[in-house]
Amino acid sequence: MPPPNSLLDLINVTKQFVSAAGLEPLTVLNGITLQIGKGESLAVIGPSGSGKSTLLQIIGTLDRPTSGQVILDGQDLSRLDEVQLAAARNGQIGFVFQAHYLLPQCSVLENVLVPTLASKEAALRHGAEDRARKLLERVGLGERLSHRPGQLSGGERQRVAVVRALINRPKLLLADEPTGALDRASAQNLAQLLVELNQEEQVTLIVVTHALELANRLQRVFELRDGTLNRSKI
Amino acid sequence: MTTWTLIRRSLRFHARAHLGALLGAAVGSAVLVGALVVGDSVRESLRQMALARLGKVEFALASNDRLFREQLANDLAAGLLRQDDPGNAAANARTSSTVSARQIAPVLQLPGTAATSDGTARANRVQVLGVDERFWQLANQAPAFKTIPQDSVALNETLAHQLQAKVGETILLRVQKPSQLSRDAPLSQDEDASVALRLNVSAIVSDGQFGRFSLQANQIPPFNAFVPLSLLQSKTDGTNRANLLLVGTESSLPSHLDTGDRPKSQSLLTSAATLSGLTSALRASWQLADAELELRDLADGREVDLRSRRVFLDSPVEQGALNISTNGRGILTYLVNELRVRDRATPYSMVTAMGAPVVSPDMRDDEILINQWLADDLQAKPGDDLEMTYYVVGVMRKLEEKSARFRIRAILPMTGAAADRALMPDFPGLTTAENCRDWDAGFPIKTDKIREKDEKYWDEFRGTPKAFVSLGAGQTMWSNRFGNLTAVRYLLPDPISYAATNPRSLAESPDSQKSPASQREIIGSALLGKLDPASLGLSFQPARALALAASAQSQDFGGLFLGFSFFLIVAALLLMALLFQFGIEQRATEVGTLLALGFTPWQVRRLLLGEGGGLALLGGLIGVAGGVWYARAMLHGLSTIWRSAVGTSALQYHARPATLLIGAVAGVAVAWLTIWLALRKQAQQPARELLAEGGEFQTSNSGHAGRPVRFEMRSRSIKVGTLSSMAALLLIGFAALRSETAAAGLFFGAGALLLIGGLAFCSAFIGALAVAEAAGKMTLSGMGVRNATRRRTRSLATLGLLACGSFLIASIGVFRLDAVKGAEKRSSGTGGFALVGESTLPIVHDLNSAAGRDAYGLDANELAGIEFVPFRVREGEDASCLNLNRAQKPRLLGVQPDLLSQRGAFTFTQIAKGWPKENPWLLLQPREGGVVPAIGDAASIQWALGKKVGDLLPYTDERGRPFQIRIVASVANSILQGSLVMSEDQFVERFPNESGYRMFLIDAPSNKVEKARATLSRALQDVGLELTPAAQRLAAFNAVQNTYLSTFQVLGGLGLILGSIGLGVVVLRNVLERRSELALLLAVGFRPRALKWLVVSEHGALLLLGLGVGVASAFVAVLPAVLSPGAEVPFVSLGATLGAVLLSGAVWTWLATALALRGDLLKALRNE
Repeated sequence: MPPPNSLLDLINVTKQFVSAAGLEPLTVLNGITLQIGKGESLAVIGPSGSGKSTLLQIIGTLDRPTSGQVILDGQDLSRLDEVQLAAARNGQIGFVFQAHYLLPQCSVLENVLVPTLASKEAALRHGAEDRARKLLERVGLGERLSHRPGQLSGGERQRVAVVRALINRPKLLLADEPTGALDRASAQNLAQLLVELNQEEQVTLIVVTHALELANRLQRVFELRDGTLNRSKI
Repeated sequence: MTTWTLIRRSLRFHARAHLGALLGAAVGSAVLVGALVVGDSVRESLRQMALARLGKVEFALASNDRLFREQLANDLAAGLLRQDDPGNAAANARTSSTVSARQIAPVLQLPGTAATSDGTARANRVQVLGVDERFWQLANQAPAFKTIPQDSVALNETLAHQLQAKVGETILLRVQKPSQLSRDAPLSQDEDASVALRLNVSAIVSDGQFGRFSLQANQIPPFNAFVPLSLLQSKTDGTNRANLLLVGTESSLPSHLDTGDRPKSQSLLTSAATLSGLTSALRASWQLADAELELRDLADGREVDLRSRRVFLDSPVEQGALNISTNGRGILTYLVNELRVRDRATPYSMVTAMGAPVVSPDMRDDEILINQWLADDLQAKPGDDLEMTYYVVGVMRKLEEKSARFRIRAILPMTGAAADRALMPDFPGLTTAENCRDWDAGFPIKTDKIREKDEKYWDEFRGTPKAFVSLGAGQTMWSNRFGNLTAVRYLLPDPISYAATNPRSLAESPDSQKSPASQREIIGSALLGKLDPASLGLSFQPARALALAASAQSQDFGGLFLGFSFFLIVAALLLMALLFQFGIEQRATEVGTLLALGFTPWQVRRLLLGEGGGLALLGGLIGVAGGVWYARAMLHGLSTIWRSAVGTSALQYHARPATLLIGAVAGVAVAWLTIWLALRKQAQQPARELLAEGGEFQTSNSGHAGRPVRFEMRSRSIKVGTLSSMAALLLIGFAALRSETAAAGLFFGAGALLLIGGLAFCSAFIGALAVAEAAGKMTLSGMGVRNATRRRTRSLATLGLLACGSFLIASIGVFRLDAVKGAEKRSSGTGGFALVGESTLPIVHDLNSAAGRDAYGLDANELAGIEFVPFRVREGEDASCLNLNRAQKPRLLGVQPDLLSQRGAFTFTQIAKGWPKENPWLLLQPREGGVVPAIGDAASIQWALGKKVGDLLPYTDERGRPFQIRIVASVANSILQGSLVMSEDQFVERFPNESGYRMFLIDAPSNKVEKARATLSRALQDVGLELTPAAQRLAAFNAVQNTYLSTFQVLGGLGLILGSIGLGVVVLRNVLERRSELALLLAVGFRPRALKWLVVSEHGALLLLGLGVGVASAFVAVLPAVLSPGAEVPFVSLGATLGAVLLSGAVWTWLATALALRGDLLKALRNE
């Protein structure tokens, strides 16, 4: 039974990839068990190719584990169909990618509001624009609402991506190498922003990163190596 | 932010990427709109032609060979005015609605031929119209002249062009003389059937000036020659006579303002009500002279004699005349060849069949009364046996001599009723003859038999009958289809009990009954009241409504061109879908982002569909403008290179707003549907794959990965290919044993199977290439070809499009109709006949007999081996594919079924259900009461009449009585196209006054055809006989379908060229996807030229393979046509089309390759 404050539970999650015929499948995640509480912040570090992004994608319902369970806020994600998973992604999870993946044809404000179009919950759509404006103001982009992504710097784009990830008030915010494509200064600013938003929005934050500075600013740090997840000693 | 906002943003942002797709949607929509507009244009052009040929005419009364008074036009006009008079309640009460005053023009309309004075140019089937100024007032645009000068003629443009005649030149018109007595009738004259007029051309009348006038719906203008009415009347013994009344419209609006767009129901109601009013006015205005009847006071003043200009009283007249009074007595007088008692004979005498006062009611049918003169001549006395010999006229004026025996009952003195010369009707060749030797009785008179005493009898007594038989006996011997009586007599005075039934007579003063003249008028009024003008062929038809109906129900060119353009539309839409899909595929990360943000795949597709919908909408709107251009181009084609299909160059562009809207909506809908089909499988990849660096849409190969799937698919493809090919070979073998008709379809089927087989083998080949290990030396071209296996589905789709398209274009030629092949066979469309002949004037003699040939001065030796199958003709509308209008009343032909049955002529495609299949021509013998069986050409029945075998067609006979024609069978692709064929017996029963024959199918030995043609044309020039080789006539009909096929091939070829542009797009896409791979090749030392060759060889292989499979399969499909002698397979245009496709594909491939490989390829490696 997960503890009452637990938001996310990974129970013996394993992920294998089938390679060419006749060869053993590649085990990327090997029986990972993890509990993450509400509002908690956590970093996952590890060498390239260790499966960090795979772990994040499984948590973020972008992939399914070969075995094991992922329980988000008491709901077993492995039992959900694709439509339900999409709804979970839309309403409960926010994702920030290394590449911002902003839609070039939409303005900053419109990009932030895109997730609301997929939501069937009227409550979420109601007041979304005000929330978007406030969040963008909060991240220092209050004056750039009508600008296109092409008119923003890398750091600004990533901030927009963060706001987009938060627009539907998710319980869980996942960030996969959010500072990977940024310069040092921008990376530091973004890292600070993530930490602050974690506290202000009370959103559970899981960050996959190579940046130890960012990892150290979070409550817990785990290292993924050889398919297993261990608390890091950094 | 709404979904619609995102869609708009995406459309705008990716506008350049969508440009190609937009153009594809616009082209598809333009072709669709354009095809529909072609339909509108043809329909409207036919409507305008109908309005031009009718001018302001709304109703017409055409009595053909029955001449009524020219004055009837004025009487009718006055009658209509009286109806309109509000004070004339009585008149108005009779009619269901008032009919406004209208222009009414009398016309004498006769068939004729025309020739230049030097004979260098001729025209048959000329409509000679005797008109006055009233006629030109019905024109939309009256010509400069009010009337045509005497001894002059105005030609319409078509006739002037045919004769190359100009104003001031002299032409010869030969015009049929209306015969009082039908030339098929007994005792009708043999000669004097036409009259020649040498006239000066005073004007050329344009179509708008009524030059195109005709009551028949046909887009091909007739040959019209307009002469002064009085001139034509005087030259044809029709003084003050006419046979056509034209009634103008209520308004005098010019036709271009008269849209005719009244609601259909209102228009029909108005027309019906007006028709009813006209009919009432006609009944109130007509006189006995209009029915070619007259009442004569006889010399003693105690009898009135009803007789007809037509000699025999029509059946309705006989019935009416005898019904109006119990006092009416029927009389039938005939010219007999001989009256003989023992060894004494009297030649050529009148004999009358009648009742009282000459023949008593108790006289038997085998008894005869003779006058004193005859008794003396024959030295006969009561009780002697008398033999009477006489001619009856059979089919084709075959004279059959018959005899009857009587016993002489009594001898009558040459006084009183028995010496009444008025008993002889006005036989045209007899009445005015000075002496017996001048008689023209329609049969050979042996003048050596005529004695001096016979001439004296004629001088003294004229046609006084020499003998009398009972009416029953006379009718048994001499009744014919033209009538059973030559007169009805009324004894005066007589308390006319019928007067109360005739309102006209009520208007007479009661005292007027006392004078003979008044009695005559009362009888006349009573008879007119009893007779229905329609029963004598005097009835108005709603000419305008019928013409507009014929054009409105015309051939659907909109649907036809949609069919022709089908492949072009498909190619455009496929190209649009391809380009749209490519554009979406380049936005893989965008789609992945949306999925990652919680959009379901369906929601993502809906967004993309919204974008596609916007493109389709915009493309549709652009397509409307493009459609106008496309329609104009198609109309130009129909007026020039495809003119054989429509027979006219007068097609004008016209588009209804509703059509443009429907076309645009349909174009948008079809484009949107295509995009939906293309997007069905989008957004099915997981978001993480789409978001992976360099992520791209992958074509799903479904099932298992690796070798086992490919092997299964290859195996399946080989099986399909083998089975299809074997089936094709079987079909070819089977087809070789079948008849020509069936073989063509079987070869096409074999070709289609080969196509499927070929594509299956290609699929297997590509699959095999994908897994094959490299054997031996690898070449650049080999590598290129092997690359085609990478995007298997895309490669197969391109190959399939090219193969199917080229197959369709090349093989459609198998449906080309060949008139020459097997033309000599009875089973062919020519029926095995060598020539088809059509005459303007009727040919009344049997051209198969020596007498008949002699009558026309034909040498029996020259025509040895030539046989004629004659057809009677009832003019109607051309129900062939040459007439774009819907034939309302098709032309009818009457033939003796045996003549076709014995020959086994033509091939039957269908027999009506429940009717026997043996001897189909004998199905023309009636089985159902009141229903006349008919046989027609299958194409005529289906396309021109819009009917099928077994259907009924309402018709009206010569006496205005409705009857039904049942289509009992159809023949395949024949020279009978355009008409319905019935038995001659049924024909003469319904149309007794259609004399002679005007169409002939002629058998001739192949080495005599041309000579026979020349001989007959020369000898029968005066009746306007036109002879055409049967194969040539069939070819003219075939030209329509063959032109349609050519149109399909041209437009299909355009579609194929568009498909080759699609190949270029595929090349571009393939190369752009592999830029980094190609950059690697560059980095390891390949030269840029080598890379280009690599790409070109990959796609060139697809192009050649696709076209090769398609063309090879098509060759099998068209093998029968290729091997057929005289077949006109359009190798040149076909070769040019396919060559253009190959060239286009090669050019686009090269261009796309050059475009994709331009710039610094190595940058792609650095980005990696």
